[in-house]
Amino acid sequence: MKPLEAIALAAILVAGTDAWAADTPGKPMKMDEPMHGEMKKGSMKKGDVKKAAKKKEREMKPILEREAAGAAKK
Amino acid sequence: MKKRTMATSLAGHSPTLIRSIERRLFLKQGLSLGALALLSGCELTDDQGVQSLLMGMSRWNDRVQGWLFNPNKLAPEYPESAITQPFPFNAYYGEDEVRLVDGASYKLELSGLIREKKPWTLPELYALPQTSQITRHICIEGWSAIGKWSGVRFSDFLARIGADTTAKYIGFECADDYTTSIDMPTALHPQTLLTFRFADQILPPKYGFPMKLRMPTKLGFKNPKHIMSVFVSNEYPGGYWEDQGYNWFSGS
Repeated sequence: MKPLEAIALAAILVAGTDAWAADTPGKPMKMDEPMHGEMKKGSMKKGDVKKAAKKKEREMKPILEREAAGAAKK
Repeated sequence: MKKRTMATSLAGHSPTLIRSIERRLFLKQGLSLGALALLSGCELTDDQGVQSLLMGMSRWNDRVQGWLFNPNKLAPEYPESAITQPFPFNAYYGEDEVRLVDGASYKLELSGLIREKKPWTLPELYALPQTSQITRHICIEGWSAIGKWSGVRFSDFLARIGADTTAKYIGFECADDYTTSIDMPTALHPQTLLTFRFADQILPPKYGFPMKLRMPTKLGFKNPKHIMSVFVSNEYPGGYWEDQGYNWFSGS
């Protein structure tokens, strides 16, 4: 393989690997970064969703348990 | 990039659906005028009182939209040739940050007004009778795309687990921390599917592995991905975007 061909091949492989890495899911979410998309307000961070989910779970858990217990008695 | 409106984005795609959505938007906006009239003299800020009032009006709008909802009216379905390639990815995070759920250890948790709360594994879910639909996903951001989803009719699944279908709400908790909830009539709609496949393949992570609730009668943000638990309740559960002020019903 000629040097120029080797350089071109290496460049293609590097570009391909970068493209693959960019689309590969599973990277840890950076919670303090702004949210993606157009639904957000400017101040919203990705970590806000996790905080909201924990708060909602705390609020809903006793309600769901109470409802389930009430339904079981019927 | 040029800002698009829902109407311009959907122009020429689905006149019946657009008319249906526009009719409801007109009604919603008309109702919202009532809220604005109540606010005359108020400064529109993040003030708690103003927010509470607007949230109250939005919940009233939800009830009106619920009354208008026709549980027998079907959303348009399309041929395979109409499928959007590539189908867009959209979330509050980047595509490289999509949560990976381990299918082997996955169990769907059930709670609330459900008789059989046994968690469901993926093989058990995949063994349920499946159906497919090619429908349009409409995003509140102003774009739409047609895709093919396959899975179990949610009404069949709810019957199988003994869900109280007289309850008002069904809520969802997802692996990416997203939460949302829907009304029972939409949950029982024949086109509401608990989907496990996209384009005839197991749902890829970016489209919501292991499962996504697909509702062609509602806007995209109401269609949760990576569902980890489902609950049935008579208490209004809201959801992430809904709690930020987005219309809860968001459907036709």
